[in-house]
Amino acid sequence: MRWHPISFPARLAMAGALSPFIVALQFYIVRFLGASFEVTAWVLLVLNLGSVWLVARRWKDLRFSAGELTAFAIVFLFLAACVLIPWAIPAAVSGKVFQLIYNYNYGLANYLMNAMGVVDRPVNWLGTSAGAFLSLVMADAWKTTPFVAIILLAGLSGIPGHLYLQAQIDRAGFLRRFTRITLPLLSTVLLIALLFRTIDALRVFDLMFVLTGGGPGGSTTSLSLYGYNYFLGGDFGYGSAVSVVLFLIALGLSLLYIRAGRFARELS
Amino acid sequence: MSEERQVRILYVAGALGFMAFSLGPILYMALTAASRRPDFLSQASGWEFTLAHFAAVVGTPSLHFLDNLRNSIVVSGCASALCVAVAAPAAYAIARLELPGKALILLCVLAVSMFPPVSLVSYLFKVMAALGWINTYRALVLPYTAWILPLSLWILTGYFAQVPVDLDRAALVDGCSGLGVLRKVVIPVAAPGIFSTALLAFIFAFNEFLFALMLTTDHAARTVPVGIALFEGLHGEIPWGIVMAAATLTTVPVVFLTLVFQRRIVQGLTRGAIKG
Repeated sequence: MRWHPISFPARLAMAGALSPFIVALQFYIVRFLGASFEVTAWVLLVLNLGSVWLVARRWKDLRFSAGELTAFAIVFLFLAACVLIPWAIPAAVSGKVFQLIYNYNYGLANYLMNAMGVVDRPVNWLGTSAGAFLSLVMADAWKTTPFVAIILLAGLSGIPGHLYLQAQIDRAGFLRRFTRITLPLLSTVLLIALLFRTIDALRVFDLMFVLTGGGPGGSTTSLSLYGYNYFLGGDFGYGSAVSVVLFLIALGLSLLYIRAGRFARELS
Repeated sequence: MSEERQVRILYVAGALGFMAFSLGPILYMALTAASRRPDFLSQASGWEFTLAHFAAVVGTPSLHFLDNLRNSIVVSGCASALCVAVAAPAAYAIARLELPGKALILLCVLAVSMFPPVSLVSYLFKVMAALGWINTYRALVLPYTAWILPLSLWILTGYFAQVPVDLDRAALVDGCSGLGVLRKVVIPVAAPGIFSTALLAFIFAFNEFLFALMLTTDHAARTVPVGIALFEGLHGEIPWGIVMAAATLTTVPVVFLTLVFQRRIVQGLTRGAIKG
């Protein structure tokens, strides 16, 4: 019974094959950076959207009672709801769509880059390891930004409005209000979003399976895909060892997440 | 107030940019599905409208798209119903009873929901193979239920905790039994929450990929995401028009659900991810 749980540590120690692990872990460290990059890069946009959404909602409630909901508000709210769509569709479907977007000859990505004059010849998105990595990060960012947006929205709505009013009376500018009020009060929620997304990114399987297949040359193989390949090859012991390492990393991050979210305090 | 005006313009521009970013790939997918050629961007002839790809997806039995869609809907529906049926009494108990170590139970549930599915799937495969369940609905419904249960429990506990205890007490005074309170008072009051939980469970099950990939072998139980991922043309190249038509048809019901129940989804997700 090679796949019995007891044998994982023994096999792990004996195998002497730690090097693939380290490579996989290194990939994951880079991927962590990818996740954090993604979160930080979209935070600003999301903050914008969030504020507009809140403003629009309050505005709607005001006008709606007076029976004066404008066409503009309806269109705007509809578009705001559309932002959820990337989160809701299957990752395998978005993987296929992005495979076409990154197509070398006629994909949308190369068309846009060419039209904007950024590059003079097509970019080989999925054929090079750097390009494939960037493609994955972009596709994953597209898929999971709505979720981050929802978490940040909840955090934004928890900031008391009178703080902004006071700051305005004190003639604090927009940038100052953002860096002195919004960011500090949002820091916990930002940390939660970051941790949650990192745990999620650790588990990513379907997007890589569909979009890059782990290639080219194994350069975008995640720990999930790495373990899966061993299972597929029938080596359950090694595949399980990979899974256990993945689980331990996820567990450590989950504990951090639970601490950051102060869930225990909320429950008591 | 000129700065306020600038800020407002910045907000609107940012929001519109974000929307374009979110909707761009979806529009591209739909346009490609309805285009005569997938490479319409680089063609001089441009975009020509056709419904041929949609007709091919629905009308070609060997593609099994409709079979896959049926499997997906049945499996996700069953998993979602089962999930709520198990999670609702459990969440009620956690929200109402004075259990020792209540917080610990919920935190363990939360930790389990972070579990990477790849750690389970090979053993699941062995179990299902031993039971002879590979490529049946059961083989997907049970793991999906177990996998989505932690989140459902977490969300529902939040909803039940919001129902005032006085309602329970009043019903008990009026001679209702313990289960009667749950069935006649708490569940109707918390119905919106239960509905959002069921909706989220359905979407999660509908989008699941790894279990469906490992535990099904053909169109008898294969779900849509796996079906689309494994789509291949006769000659090895990807038939983009047909793939995108299938993707569009899969997306339509999900998009409909999302747009109609947007507020419920946001509520449920917020409850699941952060408290307070």
